[in-house]
Amino acid sequence: MIPLLAMRLAQPAMIVDLGRLPELRGIRREGSELAIGAMTTQSQLQRLSLPGIVAAALPHVGHFQIRSRGTVGGSLAHMDPAAEWPALAVLLDAELELAAASGRRLLRAADFALGPMTSAIEPNELLVSIRLSGADGPFGFLEVERRPGDFALVGAACHRGRLVAFATGATAQRLPRCEALLREGGSPGELQALAETEIEATGDVHASAGYRRRVGAALVQRAVEAAA
Amino acid sequence: MRLELTINGIPWRGEVEPRLTLADLLRDRLRLTGTHLGCEHGVCGACTVLLDGEAARSCLTLAVQAEGAAVITVEALPSGLIPESAFQCGFCRAGFVVSAAALLSDGRRRSRQELAGELAGNICRCTGYEPILEAVLRCQA
Repeated sequence: MIPLLAMRLAQPAMIVDLGRLPELRGIRREGSELAIGAMTTQSQLQRLSLPGIVAAALPHVGHFQIRSRGTVGGSLAHMDPAAEWPALAVLLDAELELAAASGRRLLRAADFALGPMTSAIEPNELLVSIRLSGADGPFGFLEVERRPGDFALVGAACHRGRLVAFATGATAQRLPRCEALLREGGSPGELQALAETEIEATGDVHASAGYRRRVGAALVQRAVEAAA
Repeated sequence: MRLELTINGIPWRGEVEPRLTLADLLRDRLRLTGTHLGCEHGVCGACTVLLDGEAARSCLTLAVQAEGAAVITVEALPSGLIPESAFQCGFCRAGFVVSAAALLSDGRRRSRQELAGELAGNICRCTGYEPILEAVLRCQA
């Protein structure tokens, strides 16, 4: 958020620091469900025993000097198209718990992510936790990044037959056509070719749309291999 | 806002604007100019300080967020941690020294490759990183 302020992209009249609300920190396990408090830092999470895909994604969330302060809820509310948490949320079909003075509601990740830097949090709401269920098991989580910890140029992940490409377009993108091909037993070559057409990529100064589609498709194929 | 914190072991209290970053508090108010500001959006690592023992970007932290915290800057760290000779212009040095101190504090021995990955959060535009990596590896030995 501070870079947004520094670049005058956000000019809020008031900022409330949530850093001193202990009830927003830490994790809670209920059966196979894992609830992560929104103000839990990435480095606090790294010290816990977590589902493999979450543990594998965390080292990609910024550098360790960023993870010491950066929070799970911050990443989700910020909704950067290249960020890991929004991608994990969509891939794992997570639920986001939002609280307002009038009550609480749960939103599915697919309904939470509205667009680049835009979530469904209303002005009077607070993101309280992210709830994951069934996040264990084999997975693939891959990124291409300039330095370890930089925002991904392209990313892809696979878990329980679900596929997501991220850092490619407006938001993390589920790939239902590729998932269907996987279920039908399509070959790696077919999968990669289909992914290249299904990924909706945009180009910018860091990488062209074509690069993101081609490299993204290769990462999708490798993520499937890793999850096998 | 009123702010009270400890900087390099010395208590400090004063009145600050809520928008003041921790980096600007250190440099402009306290004249602790060893902490450098490069990119001012968390990418270059030059402004890294220890905040309650954890490495953090002082350019991304508002001073008021450090209320009650113990801040350690490069001025309070052993100057031999990474010798000056490992650098050329030296602008990035403070960030590397603080990051290295944070990494070394857990006592875990890291491989050269691991260390290179962890230190990727600090940019040096002169050296190509080799002498810096060598110096941190020697600290582990």
